[in-house]
Amino acid sequence: MSDRPKILIVDDEPDVLLTLRMIFEAEGFDPLLAADGETALRRVDEELPDLVVLDIMMPVLDGWFVLAELGGRPTHPHVVVCSAKSGDEDRARARELGAAEYVTKPFEPDDLVTIMREVLARDRAHV
Amino acid sequence: MDQLPVEISQRIRHEARVAGMHDHAPSIEMVERRRLQLWSIMIIVMVAVGLAAIAVSGATDNVKWVTGQPLLLAGGVGALAVGFCVYAVEKEVHLHRLSRLLVDERILSNTMALQIQMNTALFNAGKALNSVMDLDDVLDAILANALDLLEGSGGSVMLLEDQAMLRVVAVRGRGIARDARVRLGESIVGRVAQSREPLLVPQVVSPADIGGVLDSETDIGGAMCVPLVNRGQLLGVLTLLAPKDDAFDEDDLSVLNLFAEPVAAATAKAGLYEAERANVAKLLESDRMKSQFVASVSHELRTPITSIRGAVAASRRTDDPGQREELLDVVDRQSGRLQTMVEEMLTAARMQENSNRSATQQLDLCALVRLTALDSHVAGRPVEIEIPAECSVRAEPEALRRVLTNLIENAHKYGSDPIRVAVQRADDQVVMSVIDRGPGVPPEERERIFERFYRTDPNGTKPGMGLGLAIVRGLVESCGGKVWVEDAPGGGAAFRVSLRASVGSDARSEAVHV
Repeated sequence: MSDRPKILIVDDEPDVLLTLRMIFEAEGFDPLLAADGETALRRVDEELPDLVVLDIMMPVLDGWFVLAELGGRPTHPHVVVCSAKSGDEDRARARELGAAEYVTKPFEPDDLVTIMREVLARDRAHV
Repeated sequence: MDQLPVEISQRIRHEARVAGMHDHAPSIEMVERRRLQLWSIMIIVMVAVGLAAIAVSGATDNVKWVTGQPLLLAGGVGALAVGFCVYAVEKEVHLHRLSRLLVDERILSNTMALQIQMNTALFNAGKALNSVMDLDDVLDAILANALDLLEGSGGSVMLLEDQAMLRVVAVRGRGIARDARVRLGESIVGRVAQSREPLLVPQVVSPADIGGVLDSETDIGGAMCVPLVNRGQLLGVLTLLAPKDDAFDEDDLSVLNLFAEPVAAATAKAGLYEAERANVAKLLESDRMKSQFVASVSHELRTPITSIRGAVAASRRTDDPGQREELLDVVDRQSGRLQTMVEEMLTAARMQENSNRSATQQLDLCALVRLTALDSHVAGRPVEIEIPAECSVRAEPEALRRVLTNLIENAHKYGSDPIRVAVQRADDQVVMSVIDRGPGVPPEERERIFERFYRTDPNGTKPGMGLGLAIVRGLVESCGGKVWVEDAPGGGAAFRVSLRASVGSDARSEAVHV
């Protein structure tokens, strides 16, 4: 891992991408953006990010698909799901598919950063 | 009635004891056998006495040789014969009484069994009503009980529809068509319904004349029709068919008539229940849609709030004026989005409370379409327009602008490009269409999508609260217009709004691309 962990932000809301990108940059991360599931999977292959901040409800390929696809690989980056879906069943499903953490929108950006640092500090067996 | 069998059985026991039968429950057959035995012995005794008398008168010498006292012998035989006769007559009297009592008892128990059977049938009909509240099931159970009780070969329950037509709703047996209809006053069933008088139909009547119920091939032994009346209101007709060799009689008709009363009550009650159940189902659905609405709203609120909080957090981390400006734009956009949502909810709530007409005015629909299309283009939702130069309608301008905006948003959300807005005049109506090239709306959803909170996408993969089209309908109706959706020629959905035209419309079309 370099000094600046690569974070792939996946969300179909441009303003969420914009604000998270600024925050992550200020916090010393190296943010990358994807607005849909297909781009997200391509950028994971190309950029090998350390962590993916993943929205669930997106058109065409949604976050569930991305999570399942990544979970099926022998190695994959940590995934922190960031979704407006707040049901227990959604959390359970995300865990089952291999998400490291689940954050419900709206979230306190400082809390998200703390969670991301904690996840990155975990055993890097996945990567 | 309840005491009689006990009294009869006591008397039967008494008579049986006196008649020398020690069985506690003698049958008619046993009594008759006993009577036969008694009469046989009597005949044998009389024959023996006769022979003895002949012997005494014609062969006195021989007898004398045997007894030595012929007169004494004759007297003894005679006395024995008389004694036996007295005994036999007394027994016969009791056996006769016993026999009559047993016949009475049998008739009584048969009648009681029939009564019990009828009560059971009525009870079952009532039970059917209380346990299965589905009207069809209730009527079927009632019909089955009536047939069982009266040994009919088939039957039907017809209920009144639209005050003039009877429809077969329950059927048992062959040759009867469910859903067959008979006009009131026509054929036998129709006349029974009209006169409200029960009728015994003789065997000679052709089955086809009974009324829409049977085909003429069915072999029946007549029928009975009784009207179903509850609280003075005609509900329908109950018809039973007799088997070919076992016609119904007046007694059967009385029983069926007795039966009809609870049937009518049951029908009325089940009908009420059915209506209530439909109402409850509607309320439950409305409740479910409201729950879904709350979920949709909370989801829709979360997204802009996330952006706003993110923008605030990001602006605290930067001193760059350009970035701050950009973040302020985010706050502005997303708070505007929240405001729109709140307004949508308030509009929907207001429409629910107040369905009055808006104050309409004459306006140029084409100018309104051009302006709205321009706004839509700026908001990142381009549309093509196909409109005349000018087209006047009567409407409320702000409502109509909102209608068009919502329809364009809807087309972008659920349909595919290109989105077209067309305006056409037809007689005194002007039809504005918003057409997309998406998958279209399935026929079963074409009304429901205009309901408040209804969403074709219950999992929420598409943003929205289920209010957009409900607001469209409310606003269009408040302007005195109509809105509906149909398949667009060549595929996709066509949302059409028809409004009253004003004088001065110009039908000339021009194609403008915004």
